[in-house]
Amino acid sequence: MTVTPSRIQVKSSTPSDGRTDYIHIKDYGFWYGEKKALDAITLTIPERQVTAFIGPSGCGKSTLLRNLNRMNDLVDHVRHEGDITVDGRSIYDPTVEVISLRRRIGMVFQKSNPFPKSIYENVVYSLRIAGVSDRSVLDEVCESSLRRAALWTEVKDRLQDSALGLSGGQMQRLCIARAIANRPEILLMDEPCSALDPIATGKIEELIHELKTQFTIVIVTHSMQQAARVSDRTAFFYLGKLIETDLTEKIFMNPAQAQTEAYISGRFG
Amino acid sequence: MGRLIHVGGISVIVAVLGMLVFLVAEVLPLFSSAKVNPLPAVHLAAPVGSLVGVDEYGELPHVCLADGTLNFYHVDGKLMKTWKADLGGRKVTASRRDDRAGIIALGLSDGSIAEVRLGYRTKFDSANQRTVEADPSLLGIQAVGKASAVDSVWVVRAPGSRLYVVRQTEAGVSRLVGVRVTERKGLGGKVRNTPGEPFTLGIGDVAIDSELVANTADMVLAISKTNEVVVFSDTGDGFKKVQSFHPLADLPGAKITSAGLVAGDVTAVFGSNQGTEHIWSLYPQKQSDGRMLRRWGHIRDGKPLAGAALGFAAATANKSYLLVTDQSMELRHLTTGSQRWEGPAVNGFRQAFLSRNHDMLSVVDGQGDLQRWSLVDHHPEAGWEAFFGKVWYEGATGPEYVWQSSSGNDEFEPKFSLVPLIYGTFKGTLFAMLFALPIALLSAIYVSQFLKPNVKSVIKPMMEIMASLPSVVLGFIGGLWLAPLVDGHLVGLLACVLALPTAGLLFGATWARFPLSVRRHIPPGREFLALIPIVVLAGWLAWTSAPAIESALFTVADPGTGLPVADFREWWRQATGLTYDARNSVVVGFVMGFAVIPVIFTIAEDALSNVPTSLVSGSLALGASRWQTVWRVIMPTALAGVFSAVMIGFGRAVGETMIVVMATGNTPVMEMNPFNGMRTLSANIAVELPEAPLGHTHYRALFLGACCLFLLTFILNTAAELLRQRLRERYKVV
Repeated sequence: MTVTPSRIQVKSSTPSDGRTDYIHIKDYGFWYGEKKALDAITLTIPERQVTAFIGPSGCGKSTLLRNLNRMNDLVDHVRHEGDITVDGRSIYDPTVEVISLRRRIGMVFQKSNPFPKSIYENVVYSLRIAGVSDRSVLDEVCESSLRRAALWTEVKDRLQDSALGLSGGQMQRLCIARAIANRPEILLMDEPCSALDPIATGKIEELIHELKTQFTIVIVTHSMQQAARVSDRTAFFYLGKLIETDLTEKIFMNPAQAQTEAYISGRFG
Repeated sequence: MGRLIHVGGISVIVAVLGMLVFLVAEVLPLFSSAKVNPLPAVHLAAPVGSLVGVDEYGELPHVCLADGTLNFYHVDGKLMKTWKADLGGRKVTASRRDDRAGIIALGLSDGSIAEVRLGYRTKFDSANQRTVEADPSLLGIQAVGKASAVDSVWVVRAPGSRLYVVRQTEAGVSRLVGVRVTERKGLGGKVRNTPGEPFTLGIGDVAIDSELVANTADMVLAISKTNEVVVFSDTGDGFKKVQSFHPLADLPGAKITSAGLVAGDVTAVFGSNQGTEHIWSLYPQKQSDGRMLRRWGHIRDGKPLAGAALGFAAATANKSYLLVTDQSMELRHLTTGSQRWEGPAVNGFRQAFLSRNHDMLSVVDGQGDLQRWSLVDHHPEAGWEAFFGKVWYEGATGPEYVWQSSSGNDEFEPKFSLVPLIYGTFKGTLFAMLFALPIALLSAIYVSQFLKPNVKSVIKPMMEIMASLPSVVLGFIGGLWLAPLVDGHLVGLLACVLALPTAGLLFGATWARFPLSVRRHIPPGREFLALIPIVVLAGWLAWTSAPAIESALFTVADPGTGLPVADFREWWRQATGLTYDARNSVVVGFVMGFAVIPVIFTIAEDALSNVPTSLVSGSLALGASRWQTVWRVIMPTALAGVFSAVMIGFGRAVGETMIVVMATGNTPVMEMNPFNGMRTLSANIAVELPEAPLGHTHYRALFLGACCLFLLTFILNTAAELLRQRLRERYKVV
């Protein structure tokens, strides 16, 4: 796909009143066994903005995203160096429970992964595991989460049906509703639209716009148009290194690095 | 290639169906009734009062006339031989055949009894044709009663003595007179007979109508004109009246018109003129003074007869008997109460008898001719009632489920209830599953979800090796090593069974509360390293404190010495009143559980591992702990697979043979007592098939057991598969 920068419509970045270094990644390196996946990444992610990670496959953008909520802990033989702080506190702090960290950092996966349960139970899953059993609270959270995920009107009459009967786009929005039901501070999205059709993609992108007023969103995407449409800031990764990060507008219109320019103009990737 | 696969698939189906057909074909004869076909009648024209009999092969009927003449006829009616017993001018006034001994007893006009042996010789001529020749001989004449005519005669042979009984009428009252002749073998092999004193048995002034003398020579049942049955018994010091009963007490106006003892001589069948049948049997009953004594008691009433009872004939080969009424002939079986055959009435019935081989049924009609039927009834003792119902066996105190197929005694009646075996099958399975299910499922969860993959890659093949252990080895270990070990260290073992899971669970519960700084030293997936010392310690504590526990909780008085002993086994016997066997269900549970664990583990682990990682990460990303993820996401998703793992383990336990054969006492008892054995359907087949005669009821009953096993596993597997399909549909993952 060749896209020239001029053809990409870049929206103007909205001013944020949040901290600019809400997530601070410092000299972060990461290994899968002997293979170095991330090399000395230093990056700040501002609060209540959308930050997009772009780059060719294998560049480490998903790895970095998955490290933000320590999902990579589950993989064998991994190690890291450097540090990541969220709101000033290291996610590797020994007094931090991984579980509470993940409650604060929601995640939406590339492939929608609703549980084989009802729509309702999918949405309130995070409350259930936190021990909430008050029906009125659950109902309330279910409705508000589905509304914010723009799914309420489509599923309100069949909340008890299996989530697996939904369409692909609906499933992904259900996963978003499930992730925000917990009221996390940060929402990580790992190529959330890669398996969706353009209409569903449009809906998710609108949703991201809505959600960034409340959540700090980090999105990994393969689609540069998407990055341009939804993000305030963009970080370009290549071969495990952060090449460039700046306002999305700047990256797409006037990248500082030649590699960035080559990537967004479609010369490789 | 495609065709080859078709052929293979179809031959598998054909093979399975063929097995089923074979099983059913072996079993079906058990449920067929007797096949009875008329044979040509033999024209004998025996005069009234004469005795008619047939040899073992039914080829040479004979008639015994009042002057002691024996006429032997060919079945086509030709007179073959005439022989006359030298009775010294006395007349025969009563007679009785003893087919078992091949002797006829003749009651004579002077109160004595003559015994005639019906010797038969089988000859083969040059054309290899078999002919049977009669060679009768008079054995002797024994004086018994007073010098008057005998109304009825009995000679009964017991080991060491013969009992001669006659019924004589004097001044209108019938009484029984008997003599016991003791046989003593001298050193030279010569038998010396010593007749005892004659004795008289009467019921006051009430006339005795008929009597039954048991072949055991120790019991006489006198049936009075008033339908009272008086039991005289000889326990070594002469006959004494021990009991009397009225079989027709609740039938006013009815009359006992036929009575007889069924083979084994502890059950009497009374037929009345009103077409009712009453069965009384000798079994231990509690007396008013608390003693258990063998007395006659009412077992049940048979199905109503088609007409008034006229005659009775017992089979010698089994517990069948023929009741002849004025409307029908009814061949019945005592134990199962089933009607094997119903035939037409015989005109002017006089006598009936069943051949020794249970292959011919003969009736003497009013013309004195012999009506004959061929009889094919290989499995009279079989039937639904016998295999699945509660049956009141002779000598038992009530109806029960019993499997007891053989014994050292010829009088023994085989008992083929499959219920104790089905019970045992489920009991063994239950104990095995109680042990195996928690271990197999929890370890499958642990290995698939918590363990580091490199440890898992060692554990899984180990479990698979465990699955491939031959069950005969496990049974051997269970029977010869584990059972004595469990027997000796029962309390320690039970304490371990309690302590190990408790310690594990407690550790798990407290581990989550340990500060992170401690837990960080153990990487996730290696927590079992911290658990090992805890479990070892708990096991050691339980094991070493067992003697203290035993003496604190299970001290009872030794039944032998009366001194207190700390012995759980004795305590169990006394506290529960149940038995304790060294080879018991707990041992089977351990060993069979050991065989079942790897089966369930392997399949369940696969099912759990196959849950998509996207679901696992989805749950973890929402802040769920691994345990929550297991229970709320992985288990429901893998439920279908886990369920089939459980069912396959269940099927393995149901069909397991060698372990049960070797590690239990194979006692077909029906008790949920964990400390006695059981016998399963499969073990039963393995143990008894080598000793079951081909085509015999026992042999077919074993195949019926196999059929039940087949059906059981078939139903279980089908139900499990249907349920599995539904579960899979419900938790289908995109």
